[in-house]
Order: sequence, then C-alpha cells, then structure tokens
Amino acid sequence: MSDSAPADEPSGAPEPGLHPRFTCRFCGHPHRPVALAPRQKAHCVRCGLVLAKGSYFGVDTTAALITTALLLSVPAICLPFVTVGKLGSERAGHLLSGARALWFENMELLSLWVLLCAGLLPVVMLALLAAVTLPARFSKPGPWAQPLRRTAVALAPWAMPEVYVLGVLVALTKLGSLVDVKIGPGFWCYTVMAVLTLLAWSNFHLGPPSIPSEPVREKTTS
Amino acid sequence: MKPRSISGDDVPNFSRPAAFAVAAAIMLIPANILPILSTDAVGESRTDTIYSGMMGLFENGLWPLALIVAIASLLIPFVKLVGLTVLMLSARRGRSVHARKLTHLYAVLDFIGRWSMLDVFLVAFLTSAVRFGALSTIRPGPGIGAFAAAVVLTILATRSFDPRLLWREPSPSNSKPLS
Repeated sequence: MSDSAPADEPSGAPEPGLHPRFTCRFCGHPHRPVALAPRQKAHCVRCGLVLAKGSYFGVDTTAALITTALLLSVPAICLPFVTVGKLGSERAGHLLSGARALWFENMELLSLWVLLCAGLLPVVMLALLAAVTLPARFSKPGPWAQPLRRTAVALAPWAMPEVYVLGVLVALTKLGSLVDVKIGPGFWCYTVMAVLTLLAWSNFHLGPPSIPSEPVREKTTS
Repeated sequence: MKPRSISGDDVPNFSRPAAFAVAAAIMLIPANILPILSTDAVGESRTDTIYSGMMGLFENGLWPLALIVAIASLLIPFVKLVGLTVLMLSARRGRSVHARKLTHLYAVLDFIGRWSMLDVFLVAFLTSAVRFGALSTIRPGPGIGAFAAAVVLTILATRSFDPRLLWREPSPSNSKPLS
C-alpha cells in the first residue's frame, strides 16, 4: 500500500469480513481494508506496528477459549487459592482475600482497586468477550456487539489477571521460608483463566470483529 | 522561528498527560520512602520499603525474584516517566525523523505499565496469606497506597498521550484528527 493512496478511512460500517481497524491505532495512518488469511499479520506502512492479525485460532477456538475461561472464573473465585499453615494451624485464602485483608487494614481505596484489577474486571472482560463472540458464532452478531467491543477495549488496560498471577508466584516463593504454603485449585483455575484470556484477547483485539461468512485466504498486505 | 498560536492545532496540548506524569512523579516519592510492608514474625519484626524489600529478597538468595521486583517497581515507573517526557518534548516539534522509533517507544510504554502493579498485588496477597495473630503477621504500610496511585497515574498519563501527535505535519491544514 502506498502512502499516496490512504483510501477508505472507515467512515461507516466496514464491508463484512474486512477488518475495520485499519487505521493505525498508534500513528493514525489510514489503510485500505484487506482480508487477512489466518496467521497473517498486517503492519502499518508508516510506523511498522501490528495493525491486525488474521484470526489465529479461528472463531470456534476463540469461542471455546472464552467459554472455558469464563467457566473457570467460578472455581477460581470459590475454591481455595492457597493454604497457609504455621505450627499446626492452617488457613485457606481465596482470590478475593487479598482485597479483603487490605480493607480491614483501613486501606479501602487500595482494596477496591485490587478487587477491580485482579478479581472483577478480568471476569467482566471475559463476560464482554463472550457476549460479543458467542452470538456471532451461533447466529448473527447482535446490534450491541460494537458498543460492547468498545467497552472491552476501554476496560482491557485495567484487567490484570496475569500480573496478579506473577505477584502471587513471587509472594509464594518469598513465603516459603516463613510458613508452609500449598497452592490450591483456585490458583490453578485462575492461572489457566489468565492464560486463556490472553490468548483469546490477542485474537479478539487484533482479529476480525465478526466472522467472515467464509474464511478468506487469498489476499495479503504490505 | 514562526510564532505559535496558543490555541488551534499548531501546538499540541499536553496538559493532561503532563499533569498525570507530574502527579505520578510526586507520588513516587512517598512510595519509595514510606514502608510498604511490615513483617512481625516470632521475636522479629521489620518494616520494608520497596528498595529494602528487594534487597531482602536478594540477600536471601532469591535474586530472580529481586530482579522481577526491581524491574516492576523501580525500573518501569522510572522508564515510563522518562519515556513520556521524551515523547512529549518530541511531539511538540511535530513530526521528527525518529517518529517511527518514538511510536515504538510509546507501544512499549503502553505495554509495560500494568506490570508495575506487581508489588501492590504482592503486598495484598501477603497481607491476606500471613495472619497468624502473635505468631506472624504481615501488614501493609502507607507506601503501597502511594505506589499504587503512582502506577495508576503513569498508566493514565500514557493513555492520555495521543501518539498520533508524533506524526503531526507542521502545517495545521494537515492535522485533521482521525478517530
């Protein structure tokens, strides 16, 4: 694509099956929409960053990833996250115990923030992704798909399950010398949920918003 | 040098990202001075700042953890603030020959910000996991609130900076906003 033909800044609805986000979100350079084959990446001709990715898994896999992650969020919250023992007494901690403990230390604002970033928003994100992806998979996408997608994109920076997983891993290693810790099933569910969210998100965020009626394989870009 | 108009497209307005960045820089001072964690184990109690907590991990031979904490808590906020300052100063002058590199820098800053929350989650988790009354207890210190605020402010600063300004053509007629 040449610089002189920055055609088709999507003013209205894009053609079905073509990617609507071909305006680079970093430098704002407009591109003509193209259909991407699976695993194909489109880079911005001006700044070189990735504009879009051809659906990495296909729609079925993305829907399956999101459904699995959403189901896993239930045991992640309910089942014990870790069991901590010291001199015979043993306690089970849950995903939301961290936020709860901060609340009782009179750090209400921080507590709410941890609750949002680690507990609430990851699940809300998954619910939004499911609400956009699943109807598109089984029938046609609903009229609210686009606002929901925008909400998900706006919330994404604040949902940090993968950061929480790393924080817990660091804390567990640090604690090993002080008390006996056992990782509970809740932690595994949460970790798998975080990984699946990342996989589904990379496909959702940079992938096509709705399914092309049939997979497009021929065209390429820059 | 041509005169610059106060309003209009000629000089981009950085008041929001700049305000967030300054606020983040201010919050980083108490975040690094005040204790973030106090540990009361049997017969031993200590309070840790971000730096001393990291050194504690290092002295216990857990240097990979110390490295992770150092990157997340000390390096990333600093890199973000310096990087944003560079971006704002460059974007003032419109499109530069380094616009491509600067845009990549922005993409990196946008990605790394969230990892600073690591220390906050660490403290929250430790507080909930270790509470055995007199035996051993870990309590959060006031520094962690300041640190969390600083992290949120750096993320807000990055997000309120529009990287398209790095590609702004010098003449106002070309700076049609694309959104």
